[in-house]
Amino acid sequence: MSGKPRETANVGAGLWKATGMWAWLLFRISGLVLVFYLGAHIIIISTGQFGADGEALNGFMKTFDHPVAVLLDLALVVAVLYHALNGVRIILMDFGVGVQRHKIIFWSAMAVVVICFAIFAWVALTYIVTGEGVTS
Amino acid sequence: MWSWLFQRITAVLLIVCLAIHLIFTHILSIGELDYINIGDRLAHAGLTAVDIILLAAGIYHALNGLRMVLMDYWFTSRKRALTLTIGLWVVGLAFMGYGTWALWPWIS
Repeated sequence: MSGKPRETANVGAGLWKATGMWAWLLFRISGLVLVFYLGAHIIIISTGQFGADGEALNGFMKTFDHPVAVLLDLALVVAVLYHALNGVRIILMDFGVGVQRHKIIFWSAMAVVVICFAIFAWVALTYIVTGEGVTS
Repeated sequence: MWSWLFQRITAVLLIVCLAIHLIFTHILSIGELDYINIGDRLAHAGLTAVDIILLAAGIYHALNGLRMVLMDYWFTSRKRALTLTIGLWVVGLAFMGYGTWALWPWIS
């Protein structure tokens, strides 16, 4: 905890002028999206048990090769990266790192999100355009 | 405050294991995602371990996170919160069992 007086400028409707409030809201929304995705992911993968040699699962995997599905995967990557990096910021704050400079830490974390996103966007777009993986 | 601590421990596990999961699935091996391809990866004990850790840490982190959100809205009293916690543990353990069963054709 800091010894300085508490920030009181951002109160009431003014709360939404604060970076932290948007960081919190997006953290919550991305978290809820990921809870839903995890459930769906477990259920889809479990279809490997149905049909000979994973027939049902292969059907789903074919559907997910569609460009629209790949773009949705990319949106999922944004949710994962945002949630992960904002989570790192929160854990740093738990250790007292960056409490005074949380905006700098937040935007640094967002820079990491953008860099990681660029890698996955490259993978996804390569797949959409050529139908090949980046290392295959 | 065990749930607070476990939320952070599972967060760190998820970042490490999810990075491994995504890199192996989508960067080192992409375009051939199917039953056989998943089996090739799960033939390595290390990647099976990563998947099991992801399953357990993911379910805990997801449902504990959901619990924290819901406790801000309707499950505000101590009694409702307890009901919610018990309900989510039942759902979580069921998903853990189902998820392990789902991986079985590849790891057995």
